[in-house]
Amino acid sequence: MFQARPSRRHVLAAGASTAALFVAGSAALAGCSASAPGPEEPDPLESPARRAEADAALATTVAGMHSTLAAVANALAADRATHATALRAELHRVQPTSVPPNAAPPAPPAAPPPVSPDKATAQAALTQAMRAAQDEAAELVITLPGYRAALLASVAACCATHVTLLT
Amino acid sequence: MTFLPPAVPHPDMETYRGARGYQSAGGKQVPVEALQAALAAEHAAVWVYGVAGAFVSSALTRRLDEATTAHQARRDATQRMLIDAGVSPVPSEPGYLSPEPVTDTASALRLIITAEIDAAAAWRSVVERSSADPDLRGAALEALTAAAVRATRWRVTAGMAPLTVPFPGAP
Repeated sequence: MFQARPSRRHVLAAGASTAALFVAGSAALAGCSASAPGPEEPDPLESPARRAEADAALATTVAGMHSTLAAVANALAADRATHATALRAELHRVQPTSVPPNAAPPAPPAAPPPVSPDKATAQAALTQAMRAAQDEAAELVITLPGYRAALLASVAACCATHVTLLT
Repeated sequence: MTFLPPAVPHPDMETYRGARGYQSAGGKQVPVEALQAALAAEHAAVWVYGVAGAFVSSALTRRLDEATTAHQARRDATQRMLIDAGVSPVPSEPGYLSPEPVTDTASALRLIITAEIDAAAAWRSVVERSSADPDLRGAALEALTAAAVRATRWRVTAGMAPLTVPFPGAP
């Protein structure tokens, strides 16, 4: 955060406090019924949540198989797991019958995701997964209401940073 | 980074269309407060890259120039948006108080990373407040993503850890 030296107008600080005001103000209002899907309609966050979980599993497997990719893959796995938790929390908020974010994770698939023994191929698979995740999140950003759009925007930006590290 | 627990109503800016922080222009609700904050962040970033140029090795000059150009373009586009909305854009400050003195490459890179983090946060706020304007939202997402990617690249250069954060721009 930078402060203007001579005038101390605190332009950025003013923006931050406005954001806080928005948060406090809207907490008193009843949620966002407009963004809640009907019972038969899948929530648009379901797909990015599943994708985040799958990416975390893939990256964990890659890290275990390729020690030279471990640092970047483990960081990727941690970020995608954090995305999954946040997306599940939002899904659960709108539809409390969905899987709660703090519940025990579903039984892991019988086999770990297939990962090539070739390092370059495994790295390319992670890159491809991050590009696909960024694209999916970016597409949802345009149509979702404010809070969800901001959440997915950060997810998209994070996936872009991983593409940068992988390429 | 904390998310509100389930079952608690949370901010949804749809509710705020036409409310404080917005201005009607050309049939759109323009989130002028968020745009002004983003513009202020872009002004600050342009200033920071100018200062940093004096302290980092010449091998990084090209990357500094590219980042400066990107922030200048974003600044100019944001100014135009505000003017089109009938609002006077915030000017750049004659000087900024950096969180720490810039004396060498390491402190210059830290300042750059701080500026990119600030820019990411400002543009994420524009994303949040631009439900009524897909074009603006797309541009804000692009700006957030570009700032996050530059922050990560500079962390690599600076040897800082972690290199990524799960939610760039989130408070």
